Amino acid sequence: MSDQLPQPGVEAEASVDISRAVAILAPRGRDAAVAAQLLAKDNIAALPVGDLDQLAAMVGQHVGAVLVTEEALASSDIGALRHAIEAQPKWSDVPFIVLANGALRTRSDRAGQQMDALRNAVLLSRPLHVEELVRSVRSALTARGRQHEARKQLEELELRERQLYESEAKFHAITDSVDHMIWSTLPDGYHDYYNSRWYEFTGVPEGSTDGSAWNGMFHAGDQKKAWALWQHCLTTGETYEVEYRLRHRSGDYRWVLGRARPVRDESGTIVRWYGSCTDIHEIKMAEQQRQLMLGEMNHRVKNTLAMVNVMVSQTLRQADNLRDAQESIQSRIGMMAQAHDRLINAAWSETHISEVVEAALVPHRSGEGRFAITGADLPIGSKQALALTMALHELSTNASKYGALSVQGGTVSIAWAVDGETELFNFTWTESGGPTVTEPTRRGFGSRMIKQALPGYFTGQAELSYDPDGLKFKLQAPLAGLIH
Amino acid sequence: MTNVLRKLPAVLIVEDEPLIRMDAVDMIEDAGFRTYEAASADDAIRLINGHDDIGILFTDIDMPGSMDGLALAAYVRNGWPPVAIMIASGVVEIEASAMPEGAAFIPKPYATSQITKTMQEIAARLD
Repeated sequence: MSDQLPQPGVEAEASVDISRAVAILAPRGRDAAVAAQLLAKDNIAALPVGDLDQLAAMVGQHVGAVLVTEEALASSDIGALRHAIEAQPKWSDVPFIVLANGALRTRSDRAGQQMDALRNAVLLSRPLHVEELVRSVRSALTARGRQHEARKQLEELELRERQLYESEAKFHAITDSVDHMIWSTLPDGYHDYYNSRWYEFTGVPEGSTDGSAWNGMFHAGDQKKAWALWQHCLTTGETYEVEYRLRHRSGDYRWVLGRARPVRDESGTIVRWYGSCTDIHEIKMAEQQRQLMLGEMNHRVKNTLAMVNVMVSQTLRQADNLRDAQESIQSRIGMMAQAHDRLINAAWSETHISEVVEAALVPHRSGEGRFAITGADLPIGSKQALALTMALHELSTNASKYGALSVQGGTVSIAWAVDGETELFNFTWTESGGPTVTEPTRRGFGSRMIKQALPGYFTGQAELSYDPDGLKFKLQAPLAGLIH
Repeated sequence: MTNVLRKLPAVLIVEDEPLIRMDAVDMIEDAGFRTYEAASADDAIRLINGHDDIGILFTDIDMPGSMDGLALAAYVRNGWPPVAIMIASGVVEIEASAMPEGAAFIPKPYATSQITKTMQEIAARLD
């Protein structure tokens, strides 16, 4: 702590540590020099000054001690010195050693007051005793040294306190800024801290879930499990991790993931638990939805495969040769795949008859206007849509091979409507302009499917007439049979 | 030959999906059995009560109505005359406890040979 700044009137050597030096104000004759010499013999540094103002400056720089004669004190206004003494920091109490004015017999009041103003002062009589002077100065400097030590400790404490404050502030800033709920407990599990997110989520008053009251915030079905696991982890120190439903301020329960880990001291003893709760409700709901959908999907796929199985089995029954069989099977499966596309677009719920009819006829459209289609835009259920698609596929394939679509000029008329009185749905397919129709000797899959299976999907009736002018198909069903 | 045919029990096929039911009927008739068909448990019970030649119940599990295939099978098991049970399903994991005792499990889609073989075994036992 050496003072590098040059002071007016003070010839301080650069290497003098002012906090361990003695300022000397003894302007009369050789007093200052003599005193300095005496102190130098004892390795004490001396800093002679010329007046009270310079002395005040020394005090401001925390000089180790001051040696001043009584007459020098009285010589001029003590104001600056008094101010410097009062302006000292709390730890500082600069010691004064006053050399009494040997010439006077009594001390004036003013002189006494001036000495009092110095606060920490001793009086040495003159003529000076060397030992008295040196010991006084030593004692003063030692005391001063201890003041510096105390100051260091105080500053250290203040630093620690500031660091602690900043650390706490940082902790709170972090825990209140993250999206998760954060909590902390004593080693016995007593919850004594929750971040602001916890209170935002739960809506409970601050402090109301301290201790073990948190368990009551859990869904009844999860309380026991979570409590048991928490107790287990408290004992073993294992990481705590559990999913449970926590009561949200809205009154609903939401799935959260609770986790906690212990903090240990140097000896390995747990001193605190820090934990968090993460809202996983959306994720969990999505997962449950996904499982449901997967189950649904599996179910539907199995159903579809069962249908394909029927297609293949039935085709093989009736095919004349493997090549015909292959063609039929592929055509039918292709039709089913296409019907599925439409069903997916309609989210497997329902579609419209017009769409079903249009789609089924796509492979057979030639741009020559062979189809006449009339009917209202009625909704139709997914199973019914598939069945109708299959029927239309069979009818149009048959018409292309043997019926109205197998010759130029042949036409097909498709019409459907709901009878206002009977509330019955009627669907008809009428061919004309084709070769003369005769009843086939063998019932193919198409006719069997139409006559036996199709009506079942609509809880209605189906008819296939081999009218010589053209094949006629008719489906009749209650309106309710279109969607169920 | 006709003696053998008459000895074979008739099969009641219960399946709500018309096409699959139609194919099952074909498959089982091809194996030489006479068939009855129903689209729901209610229809099936009516048929069983009306025809005493039904010796085998071949039923799907998922069906509309008050009873599913498992409930229907349990009901039939407790009735008279004794009827052999075959349960079909697309769902692979059916708990053993849910199946009636002695019932055969047939996975969907159907494998013709497996079904015919099982039925012939049952027919032989019923003799």
